[in-house]
Amino acid sequence: MSFNRSILVLLSLALILIFGAATLAQDTTLTMLTHWGTEDQLAAQQAIIDAYMESNPGVNIELVTVDFGELRTKIITGRTAGISADVYHFYHLWLPDFVNAGVLDQPPEDALAYINENVAQGTIDAVSTSDGQTWGYPTEVNPYLLVYNKRLLAEAGYDTPPANWNELKEIAAAITQVDDTGAISQVGLGVMPGWDSGIVHPFSALLFSNGGNYLSADRTVAEFNSAQGIETLQLYADLVASGGTDPSINGLGNFPSGTVGMVIMAPWWRATLRAAEGVDFETEVRVAEIPVGPSGDAPSSIAYTWLFAVDSSSPNKEAAWDFIHWMNAEHDEGAGSAIGDFLVNALGAIPSFDHDQAAFAESMSDHYVSAFVAASAYARPEQIVAGGQEIKTLLQVEIEAVLAGMTTPEDALASVEQQANAILEEQRMMAEE
Amino acid sequence: MSSPAIKSSWWMPDIPKSAVLRRRMLWAYVFVAAPIIALLVFLAGPILFSGWVSLHRWDMLSPVGDMPWRGLQNYVFLLTRDSIFIKALGNTFLFAIGGVGANTILGLGFALLLNSRIRGRTVWRVLYFMPVITAPLALAVMFSFIFDRNYGIVNSVITALGLPRQPFLSGPNQALMTLIFIAIYQYVGYYIVIFLAGLQGIPQDYYDAAQVDGAGNWQEFRFITLPLLRPVMLFVVVTNTIGALQVFDLVFATTGGAPANSSMTVVLHMYNTAFKFSRMGRASAMAFILFAIIMLITVMQVRLLRDRSYQD
Repeated sequence: MSFNRSILVLLSLALILIFGAATLAQDTTLTMLTHWGTEDQLAAQQAIIDAYMESNPGVNIELVTVDFGELRTKIITGRTAGISADVYHFYHLWLPDFVNAGVLDQPPEDALAYINENVAQGTIDAVSTSDGQTWGYPTEVNPYLLVYNKRLLAEAGYDTPPANWNELKEIAAAITQVDDTGAISQVGLGVMPGWDSGIVHPFSALLFSNGGNYLSADRTVAEFNSAQGIETLQLYADLVASGGTDPSINGLGNFPSGTVGMVIMAPWWRATLRAAEGVDFETEVRVAEIPVGPSGDAPSSIAYTWLFAVDSSSPNKEAAWDFIHWMNAEHDEGAGSAIGDFLVNALGAIPSFDHDQAAFAESMSDHYVSAFVAASAYARPEQIVAGGQEIKTLLQVEIEAVLAGMTTPEDALASVEQQANAILEEQRMMAEE
Repeated sequence: MSSPAIKSSWWMPDIPKSAVLRRRMLWAYVFVAAPIIALLVFLAGPILFSGWVSLHRWDMLSPVGDMPWRGLQNYVFLLTRDSIFIKALGNTFLFAIGGVGANTILGLGFALLLNSRIRGRTVWRVLYFMPVITAPLALAVMFSFIFDRNYGIVNSVITALGLPRQPFLSGPNQALMTLIFIAIYQYVGYYIVIFLAGLQGIPQDYYDAAQVDGAGNWQEFRFITLPLLRPVMLFVVVTNTIGALQVFDLVFATTGGAPANSSMTVVLHMYNTAFKFSRMGRASAMAFILFAIIMLITVMQVRLLRDRSYQD
């Protein structure tokens, strides 16, 4: 054997030993897919992962994050390509579609028992299918409320936020400022066109506060095309007509810069608002209940949930569920869970587990999150149904059409209702096939 | 002396008898087979699979074997009941007509200018080509700011001239037109270069002879430049049309089809249908309808421009 060949053989053996040892040392690799992708959020998630790996040698966890807008696509394409993640954190509206397609693994009995023991029934229902099967650990609970800029309201002559729709229209119009050239420098109520949740969730919050429904109780028929629904969409048309809102000013981007008076939004926005330069979080950002509509009798709202679940094709289901449980469980009494800490302190969201709500009560007691905690007691959970994402997008487009003056509230809701009912009917037939 | 050859079959050329040459021919087939197999696996395979999927209801999550059969239902739904698809089809045609027309006329016009002896010709050529090499998404973001209703520089100029402020990308009647403008800005430089190459391929002798016969500039353009540019014109019109009918990135990054689908295009609707609504069958049907339309238009364009060039 020549000298060169000997060196080659030795190097090959060394590589085999190194990689072989590494493989033996980390014999289980899990991939977790989330949508929390800012630098701070990534660091906080990695800290949780590192802590778990430290206490569970032999398990290696890789974190993958994508923007929320691409999360569903990433899950679908990953499954199709055979490179799906083991652990998903996803929006509960997609749950029926994923369950029908066999994407998810059923949680083990001890996990279900833990969830049942430590989470409110309403939140459990939000991560369960209509047959009562729970599919994962619920995480953030996000009710919607009216977030407003106290300074802009005061400058417009109002000390208190609107309690009903007439006041909402009046205050919104008073806040809006348009210069001589027609440029809108400040708008009363910010809407969020181009984002389905940013359009449909505020619409639903107003609809519920006007006594309306989104779907029927058995989730088989759309009910937003009602007198209450038309009144809700007419509110949007009125706001546009009076200048109280304008779709060219996006509430999501412009409220933090101090040019939007009010926006209907969820608690997870706290981190953004705290870092905002155009509005002072402590002295100017305030939260109020959703104004009550003419057909409503009390403020209401909508709340959506996310959950951790395991892919049914994962070769390491047991390890995946163990990791999810570890993240959500309270290891020291009164300390809360790792995810609870992350949700409350990194996001400003409300955690699902009772022990987290107790452990982080102080962190949730600020003027911002505390209002959402109170609202979570009465907010109605978003109704999940197979095809729900498609219905939501169709509704978003029609609401935007009303905002753009392209259609009337009556025509818009009639059109979506017809399409939504066709989708629900199709899904029912698919389930029966 | 050449080796005697044998005739193998209708699809195989004459194969030399010599063992060495036969081995060489074998290797030639091996090398040719590699790209053909790749083509079959990565192009023909997906196309056939997509055609099969278009006849089913598939959410991309369920196993392929469990796809429920739908026959032509996806096609019928798209052509008769999917108002967004019909709207997107109309928008895509408008986008293609506006983009192809403007790119062809402006591309040729600027190419004629740049082909003449103007000062700083090289600098102008570089400037016109720069948008072509700029990332489409960067352009989309830049134009979102430029055309902003409230803070955009275009509206600042318009209002300074005493004209009313325009919504551009946020207006249902203007979003598509604004996108066409951005697409022209993005691609006209590419077509200028193509026309320029065509112009420089026309022999100077023809122009000299025409001038001797007393032809003016317009006559030179009408009877020499245009006829001899027809092959280039064909290339520009066909490739531009195909590209315009497949527009996606620009719309995705600027309006996302908003407001209220007023700027929705077929490929964006296809993307939403497949990945947002998990309806891969319907999205595949859209792809085949779009393919048929592109094929039809391309054949028409080729026939129209090619036949006339032959006559000339």
